Amino acid sequence: MKWALLVTVAVLALVASVAVGPAAVPLGELLRSDIVWNLRAPRALLAFLVGGSLGIAGAGLQALVRNPLADPFLLGLSGGAGLGAVLAIALHLSGPWALPLAAFAGALAALALVYRLGLIGGAALDPRILLLGGVAIGAFAAAITTAIVSLADASELRNAFLWLWGGLSSASWDAVLVILLYAPIPIAVLLAASRPLDLLALGEEPARYLGADVDAVKRRVYLAASLLTAAAVAVSGVIGFVGLVVPHLARLTWGHRHRALLPAAFVGGGALLAIADTLARTVVAPRELPVGVVTALIGVPVFTLLLRRWTIA
Amino acid sequence: MRAFFLSVLILAGCSSPAGRPHGPTARRIVSLLPSFTEILFDIGAGDRLVGRTTWCDYPPAALAVPSVGDGIPPNIEAVAARQPDLVVLYNSGPNVTAAKQLERIGIRTVLLDLNRLEDLGPAARTLGRLTGREKIADSLAAAMDSLAARPPPSATASITFVVWDNPPIVIGRGSYLHQIAALAGARNVFADLAAPSAQVSLETIAARNPDWIAVLADSAVPPAFAKRPEWQAVRAVRDRHFLLLPGSLFGRPGPRSSQAVAELQRLLRK
Repeated sequence: MKWALLVTVAVLALVASVAVGPAAVPLGELLRSDIVWNLRAPRALLAFLVGGSLGIAGAGLQALVRNPLADPFLLGLSGGAGLGAVLAIALHLSGPWALPLAAFAGALAALALVYRLGLIGGAALDPRILLLGGVAIGAFAAAITTAIVSLADASELRNAFLWLWGGLSSASWDAVLVILLYAPIPIAVLLAASRPLDLLALGEEPARYLGADVDAVKRRVYLAASLLTAAAVAVSGVIGFVGLVVPHLARLTWGHRHRALLPAAFVGGGALLAIADTLARTVVAPRELPVGVVTALIGVPVFTLLLRRWTIA
Repeated sequence: MRAFFLSVLILAGCSSPAGRPHGPTARRIVSLLPSFTEILFDIGAGDRLVGRTTWCDYPPAALAVPSVGDGIPPNIEAVAARQPDLVVLYNSGPNVTAAKQLERIGIRTVLLDLNRLEDLGPAARTLGRLTGREKIADSLAAAMDSLAARPPPSATASITFVVWDNPPIVIGRGSYLHQIAALAGARNVFADLAAPSAQVSLETIAARNPDWIAVLADSAVPPAFAKRPEWQAVRAVRDRHFLLLPGSLFGRPGPRSSQAVAELQRLLRK
């Protein structure tokens, strides 16, 4: 029942984001319109894929670090991506894909640093160090970014921050294809870790006694979730709240079993971002709102209601 | 240049009455906006400039004046070190704060609005009064006023100014560039946006289907977004109908605004 409801919402969100937009396209011409075919459809799909990736990555990370505040961007990836993008502009790397690739590389570099920090105490990835290391590396990258922006001569640098918060404006079939080829692998790794993640919720020691290879699972979940987020930031910039709120919503409805929780977080995240982007494009048309504003405006009230239910229950 | 221009557009919202000129004729002036630098040279007060921003690249003689940084926000100590008796600032939030700080150390400041063509005349007159060059400033102001009041010709082409590509940010009717386009006979397809600039959806640009995409560029090659797949939904991008407008000429209202109009007309005829 709840699955049917969730899938219905997701399908409706996708249909709405293709059918509705600031440009008036008559219903009869929907399937022949260049605007629908080359702009709306890839943007809707990309919104769904990015939202889903952030949702499932957030659910995995929250289970891994056992911290309800964990968000895919908390672990330094947005800072790394921003630094990559700014460096690309400062070094005059041109070409249509220079910025996304540089942001992806920056996110990977941050990921590698945080991962290395997390292993500081040996083969066991320490969740506390992951969190602290993520925040520290993120702040460090942001500081370097700001220094480059304020010192370099390239005037376009000041707009690099716009790119980082650019949302889904750059959606194209190429981007959809890249994510479609890329995302299934980390998603499969996360899904395969469902059972050990359930055990991990009991604590690392009990999970070990129950037969989970805790260290390997933590490493795999961290890398898979971060690789998903790095791809998301490369195609859509930093989009907040999806990876934080959706896993909590899913946990509230589907419980703590990751076999159901992870797919629900994926579909829910996809639906939320598709809806948010449709609203961002249409509510103040012909102007457009940054999509992160809409995800926060929807996400935060839902989140507060949810906290209320938690504390009362 | 695009970024500077953008920041000017964004700041354009904040305005308060311009500072009231008083006191003796200014001898050592720091100009913190390229437009003011151009006006000062135009009215024959260029030799009194002792400081400018890194953006002040016209007239060529301006480059001989020491730079005090990019001016966003002004570096108070660098400005003060030039020992000016007048600092001319663009009227915006951060600059109001900077002006107060300068006044506190005894340096006279004037804050001037300069967002649209009709601001040019008053700015030229104020600068003329402050430098004792009223006569020549008045004739410049009169020329600027008549340009601002000139009825635009009927449009022969449609145009979209793209200030930034991801997310797409375009120029609305609140901008100086909208006025330049209108005077050159180009219809800004985003004239319904009251703001100087705004973020819009790519599909809105595609649907409004402008004949030309104008970008402020200091290079002769089309912008990088011309090759992005999603931008191919815009006809003018597919047809490579780009107008590459030099930032120094188009990015600022000033004595050369009529030259900008003529240049845009020439580009549209090509």
